[in-house]
Amino acid sequence: MNDLGFGLALLVVGMGGTLLSLWILSLLVLLLKRFFPYEEVKKADGPSH
Amino acid sequence: MNEALWAGFEGLLLGVSHLTLGHLVMLVIGGLLLYLGIRHGFEPLLLVPIGFGAILVNIPLAGLMEKGGILRTFYDAGVLTEIFPLLIFVGIGAMTDFTPLLENPKILLLGAAGQFGIFSTLLLALALGFTRPESVSIGIIGACDGPTAIYVTSRFAPHLLGAVSVAAYSYMSLVPLIQPPIMKLLTTEREKNVVMAPVRKSVSGRTKILFPIVATVLTSIIAPLGTPLMGMIMLGNLLKESGVVARLKQASEQEIANVVTLLLGLSIGATMQAERFLKIETLLIMVLGLVAIALDTVMGLLFGKLMCLATRGKINPLIGAAGISAFPMAARVAQTEGQRYNKKNYLLMHAMGANTGGQIGSVMAAAIMLSVLRGLGIG
Amino acid sequence: MTEVMAPMDGKILHVKAKVGERVQEDQTVAVMEAMKMEIQIVAPVAGTVVEIRVEPGQAVDPDTIVAVIQ
Repeated sequence: MNDLGFGLALLVVGMGGTLLSLWILSLLVLLLKRFFPYEEVKKADGPSH
Repeated sequence: MNEALWAGFEGLLLGVSHLTLGHLVMLVIGGLLLYLGIRHGFEPLLLVPIGFGAILVNIPLAGLMEKGGILRTFYDAGVLTEIFPLLIFVGIGAMTDFTPLLENPKILLLGAAGQFGIFSTLLLALALGFTRPESVSIGIIGACDGPTAIYVTSRFAPHLLGAVSVAAYSYMSLVPLIQPPIMKLLTTEREKNVVMAPVRKSVSGRTKILFPIVATVLTSIIAPLGTPLMGMIMLGNLLKESGVVARLKQASEQEIANVVTLLLGLSIGATMQAERFLKIETLLIMVLGLVAIALDTVMGLLFGKLMCLATRGKINPLIGAAGISAFPMAARVAQTEGQRYNKKNYLLMHAMGANTGGQIGSVMAAAIMLSVLRGLGIG
Repeated sequence: MTEVMAPMDGKILHVKAKVGERVQEDQTVAVMEAMKMEIQIVAPVAGTVVEIRVEPGQAVDPDTIVAVIQ
């Protein structure tokens, strides 16, 4: 394999792999947020939305 | 008696007689790093020990980098073993608040896009004739993340450690100068003016605690060779978010990080011996490092534009520039530039999300790279 | 009546506008600190400041009304 092929392989697999794994991670975070939703802490003052 | 006097005197002259032009140049470079750190505040925590380390190691006959010398001992114990960058990571994890990212997890993708410079610069380095392991180490400057760059370089091309770390840390502190022109050039007037809604609290304590665990398990299964990196940063974050080990959190982000930063900086400076550092390669690495960070920014912005389009104008592409890891400089740049174009625009929290996403992205990119390289038969 | 909201979580550093003062659109009403950075909170519209609801040192979030402009 020449250097160009090596570099391109790394570029494609590396960039693709990074995007893909972070996308999966972002989905997992969405799931986490769904299972453990945020509960509004009661504030002393100020209107809540 | 006379002869003994003369011989003793000659001993005093040995240092001077062994001083080469290379040593002198390196003393000046060490001084320059100190100047940048002390006078201009460029990453002083690292540039001061690195600069002084570079001075120490270029004193002829002092032997600090010989076997048994103090800097060599630090280097062998902490850099060769990769322990120093990993310990720094525990501290970074303990300091990092991932909440802005968890509020809007899609922003993680910007953190992935911001790693493009790593891989594209690697190609450039190969084209310029660097070997494959060297090119990997040069590309990793694009991670915009000191410990990651040191971790990967110490594994693949330890002889380039000095140049790679100096490039990584100097350009990280130059992010506020490097990014704005690219941001201006690549976004339209309309995109610059996109106002993003304020970040509302939507993340529970449980999510914050579970995130470092889930992230570690998932990313480590995908790229096992990156487990030390991701594991340490997430361990630090778990110490912070669990809320029950305040002492360990404090030790990680203060005492341990401080001690290790000192030893790491000195060790990196110690790799800058004249005969190793004064090469044309070093200059090339400095140029390639700048290219890497610029390309990171370009791809982050382009991806930001894509997300702007996909969300029908809910995301300001300027925060894409914060997808590079340089934390928190890149996020601050996005806030400053955003408000320069539209006073009513407050991008900081969104940019912090992209920026912490960039931290995860840079570690993930390094992890994937290590695994792919193993697959290709390197490392 | 337009409410000037705090743009993010943080702390008010100082209040620039005074009650009764006429402010221009995009003029700084208050300066806050978030993530160790100073942020200018600007008036969304031109008008007269009728109320200031924060003081320096106060913690704010996106639900906090900083000032009211008429």
